[in-house]
Amino acid sequence: MTQQRFCDGIRRRDMLRFGAAGAFGMGLTLPSLLEHEARLKASGVDTKDTSLIIVFLQGGLSTIDTWDMKPDAPSEFRGDFTPVSTNLPGIHISEHLPKLAKVHDKFSLVRSFGHANSNHGQADHFMLTGYPSGPGFNGGLKPNNQKPCVGAVIGKELGPRGGVPPYVCLPRMHNSAGSSYLGSAATPFVVGADPNAPDFKVPDLAPPVAVASRRLNDRRSLLKTINRYEQSAITQANQGARAMRTYQEKAFELMTSEATKAAFDIHSEPEVVREKYGRNMLGQSCLMARRLIEAGVRCAFVNHIDWDTHYNNFHVLKNELLPKLDAAMSSLLADLEDRGMLDSTMVLVTGEFGRTPRINKDAGRDHWGPSCAIALAGGGVQGGRVIGASNERAERPATTPFGPADLMATIYHGMGIEPEREFLTPEGRPVPIVPGTGRVISELF
Amino acid sequence: MRRPRLLFVASICFTLTLSVCAHGTEHARIAVTPAQVSLEGKDSSMQLLVTGYDAEDNPTDLTHLAKYSFSSGNVSVSRSGVVRSRKDGDGTVTVQFDKLMVVIPVKTSHTHARLTLNFENDIIPILSRYRCNTSGCHGKAEGQNGFKLSVFGFDPMADYQAIAMEGRGRRVFPGSPQASLLLRKMSGGTPHGGGIPISPSRPEYRTIRDWIAQGLPVGSEEDATIVSLEMTPRQRIFKMGETQQLRAMATLSDGRQVDVTELTQFQTNSPNQAVVDALGHVTAGQSPGTAAVMATYMGQVDVLHVFVPRGEVIQSFPRSRQFNFIDDHVLNNLKKLNILPSGDCDDEQFLRRVYIDMIGTLPTAQEAREFLTSNESNKREQLIDQLLIRDEFSTYWALKWSDLLRVDRLALGHENAYLYYNWIRQGFQQNKPLDQFARELLVAEGPLRESPAGLFYKAVPATKRASTFSQVFLGVRIECAECHHHPYDRWGQKDYFGMQAFFAQLQYKPSKAGEVLLASGNPVTKHPRTGESVNAYALGTEMPNQAPEGDRRLVLAAWMTATENPWFARNVANRTWAHFLGRGIVEPVDDVRLTNPPTNPALLEALSNYFVEVEFDFRQLVKTILMSATYQRSPEVNPTNERDEQNYSRYLFKQLEAEVMLDAISQVTGRAEKFEGVPAGSRAIELWDSSVPNYFLKVFGRPVRATACECERVSEPTVSQVLHVLNSPAIQKKLNHQDGRIRAIATQFADNKKAIEEIYLTCFARYPDKKELVAAVGHLENSDDRQLALEDVVWSIMNSLEFLFNH
Repeated sequence: MTQQRFCDGIRRRDMLRFGAAGAFGMGLTLPSLLEHEARLKASGVDTKDTSLIIVFLQGGLSTIDTWDMKPDAPSEFRGDFTPVSTNLPGIHISEHLPKLAKVHDKFSLVRSFGHANSNHGQADHFMLTGYPSGPGFNGGLKPNNQKPCVGAVIGKELGPRGGVPPYVCLPRMHNSAGSSYLGSAATPFVVGADPNAPDFKVPDLAPPVAVASRRLNDRRSLLKTINRYEQSAITQANQGARAMRTYQEKAFELMTSEATKAAFDIHSEPEVVREKYGRNMLGQSCLMARRLIEAGVRCAFVNHIDWDTHYNNFHVLKNELLPKLDAAMSSLLADLEDRGMLDSTMVLVTGEFGRTPRINKDAGRDHWGPSCAIALAGGGVQGGRVIGASNERAERPATTPFGPADLMATIYHGMGIEPEREFLTPEGRPVPIVPGTGRVISELF
Repeated sequence: MRRPRLLFVASICFTLTLSVCAHGTEHARIAVTPAQVSLEGKDSSMQLLVTGYDAEDNPTDLTHLAKYSFSSGNVSVSRSGVVRSRKDGDGTVTVQFDKLMVVIPVKTSHTHARLTLNFENDIIPILSRYRCNTSGCHGKAEGQNGFKLSVFGFDPMADYQAIAMEGRGRRVFPGSPQASLLLRKMSGGTPHGGGIPISPSRPEYRTIRDWIAQGLPVGSEEDATIVSLEMTPRQRIFKMGETQQLRAMATLSDGRQVDVTELTQFQTNSPNQAVVDALGHVTAGQSPGTAAVMATYMGQVDVLHVFVPRGEVIQSFPRSRQFNFIDDHVLNNLKKLNILPSGDCDDEQFLRRVYIDMIGTLPTAQEAREFLTSNESNKREQLIDQLLIRDEFSTYWALKWSDLLRVDRLALGHENAYLYYNWIRQGFQQNKPLDQFARELLVAEGPLRESPAGLFYKAVPATKRASTFSQVFLGVRIECAECHHHPYDRWGQKDYFGMQAFFAQLQYKPSKAGEVLLASGNPVTKHPRTGESVNAYALGTEMPNQAPEGDRRLVLAAWMTATENPWFARNVANRTWAHFLGRGIVEPVDDVRLTNPPTNPALLEALSNYFVEVEFDFRQLVKTILMSATYQRSPEVNPTNERDEQNYSRYLFKQLEAEVMLDAISQVTGRAEKFEGVPAGSRAIELWDSSVPNYFLKVFGRPVRATACECERVSEPTVSQVLHVLNSPAIQKKLNHQDGRIRAIATQFADNKKAIEEIYLTCFARYPDKKELVAAVGHLENSDDRQLALEDVVWSIMNSLEFLFNH
């Protein structure tokens, strides 16, 4: 068993299993969708129908041991692993990612990436929203978003496609996956169960067997008559009540959607495919993400914990984590390509930060925001590129540095969302979806 | 109505006004502070503040709009009103706005004298202001790129070492200061990952350059140190969107007062009401309410209280009912904000509200009938009195305090956790004064079996005792100060370890009577940085020269529960208030700081004084809160208060807590939930162990008791919650159960109307209105199976906002 405690002593799994969830956004009506496309065309942004899969390695992937190895650095930096050649001439990644080494032409790396935050919680918020957390930030809140998560922006901007929610978080909620001022309609639908479990099913998605479908309709119309507060200004003025009402509408949509039911039925996937992804939480979550995108989900956010390798970094990576990542990510890329979905599905693989170049006394590595390579594929991102470089010890970018704001700009560019777009907070303050400093990492396209 | 002037001017400044005939201008006069400026030393500065007053004496900040000119070359003035010394001399600065004009005499001296700089007083503030020593940059534990500073400059000697000595002094060249790596990096001469924080034209650049040229002086022991920080203004009423420049003055130990605005860091606690830029320029937002803009400089803090009323003035504020002192304070505040309170709640609303808030339980149909039909004029008070002595009152409050005091079976073991819980519960059952409750917990000793309060120190790790104690009982978070000076408060490491030293004597020892908690010996607590021993002392007090004799916790307990203690009574009063009103007067309730002030200080003060007056009688406090018109307001909104969630102008919706909601569902269906390892029929609010597995409680956000934070309870509703109430097979089973309430109602009430009435009273504690009755009875009549149809009605009720929230 890998360590499941984060360094702040709180079992993140405990915190997460309460699974704050949310409804999916119906933010765009048809006229506004057309208007949106017209605006995009006018601004020169390509409006192709793109989706996003985030594979978030929470705790912090050690990129110096994987994507950005430093074999020539002193031994207290370079670590135990050996770089191996990939199918790109001259490019090496870790020996413990052999499957990915064979398909490096399908994904790209940004090695001159980093940011100035090395705390769990704050760094998560930074990486997933593009904005650093401000005063009063409380990482323990569920959700803790001061700015909307990238998935919430995508769900809100692009709206649902078919009967499935546009933004899904799995297997459980990430604390920074929330929608902030985009409101309850933009929060993710949280699966709330491990797709690798033999009896996996999304809890409470269907009414109990005893309630026949005709009766469900009766109940719904009856529920509409018990509405002392539902329609009133009171509901509008009370945030919780407002959210609850929106969620109820969304819940009924979810329950009645055949597409949703089918997408979540991972058991219908051939056994050989499931094996290929890896019979573990990460592998099956990635497989589920592909199924969800296929069904119309705009952003599937796979949150995998356990990457906070303060102790025995090398042992844990080699024996536990990297084999899982290798199988899951290589299968996901191959699968998307085989199905002709890779061009329209961007995949991002990252942690909230990298890990300290200098190995600590426990044969581990600590948090390191200033340098952490990220991996991207699909959705317009060209495979086989390695952009930028870190310095000789992977302590910081050595070439033009990129950060979370640039990552957001890049994702929105790929998704056909104008990076200049602004949202109004409920108080009427305009906030751009990408902070002013963010610029598209154009070398990827 | 004349608006009160809330622009306070520091006593050192004399207002000097030249009233100029101002035909057709908005401003009748302008005032500039300070009235005269005296600057000592090179590059000293003073932020002028220019205020215009209209005919009714309403102030407007004109600092950034006024025109500045100066008579001689001894100073320069920026467009934002910063006067800076250039050379010795006397002169004047003329401030002009429209036709109004004020002349300020300016004296400069010692601009050429080589005042010896002091590393800690002159250099570290620059590193802090430009955020060089934050945890994202060089303040990180590993440093940044080989250069490490102590976070927020808490360890000046280490920083001196790093800058002046490390790498054989490669960062500084006193012979050629400009060539110093330190200056080249920060000013763009050499590539720097952190950008170019300070350009060579800035006075801060010159200060660092001069310090290097002076041969890197550490400074003298005799150099003046900072004593306090004061902001001008400290209170201000803003129109929406209005701006205000701030000035921050430091008082030094030699009595001098210097302007440190440019080196002060500013932050707001509520961006909806006010934002502030790096130079201390505040802009009010578009939502009415209050905010605090905090200034920090060298570990000292001060705060501007921002008050943003609704734009539209309410000409005649209607008389609203005032039941007790709470209402005076709330209404005063609402008047100032131009917000009208909602009306009173009706009896039906009051009944359900007060049951849920006080005892975490719905009223039964019978209880509802009795209350609603009673004609007694004081029936609300009677009800409160009845509920205060109900068993569920103690149970419910024991649950809430068990969250804070962390009753955790996994950490304490089954038997211990149960003992600990029972001790808490008995406290509420006996209405033990809360100061006594806290004192008993704090000084617990002896065999744990006899003194289960001592398990607190087992539930909390030894290194977290001081911070957990402070957060729970004082509402003050000091854990930052374990490693460095609290960035938003006045607490330093010494304060933290002074608190920690109270608990250093504690040990658990085995004995024949089981485990025993002892406070013995005279262990020394050391300051982790300086290595000096720190004697136990309480927050905000002086450290004594000797460690207290005997059990040190007795000293802490006496301090905490003394009537003049600034925190304990306020904290408990505020937490209790927050539970009933849905929001603390200080929010978050466990983050009391000068820089996070109460939204209604007079109210908090009064509530806290009252609590002391009644000798910490918890039930008395609860009753007084509930008897206020403020608590008994309707949830209805009016156009003036629809955006107000801060000032208690209406009753805020509160989602039922996980345990309360599960109990409510069990109660209306007449089917108790089954929990592992507890007697059959136990209610969720009776669960002393927060790790009893239960999917419902998990989805609805029961806290795990891993921290002392109130925020462990999930803050927002979720789709999973909605889906669960809609579809859970477990709930369906309760609805349909052979021995459940719905079957009983079906049997007992043959008449459909009567049956529906009973269901409404059971679930909502009210009678159905005509429309509701027609819809529900219609559903029963159209159905082939009356039992199933009744289930449908209850199911619909359970999924309504009216059921899921307290209102």
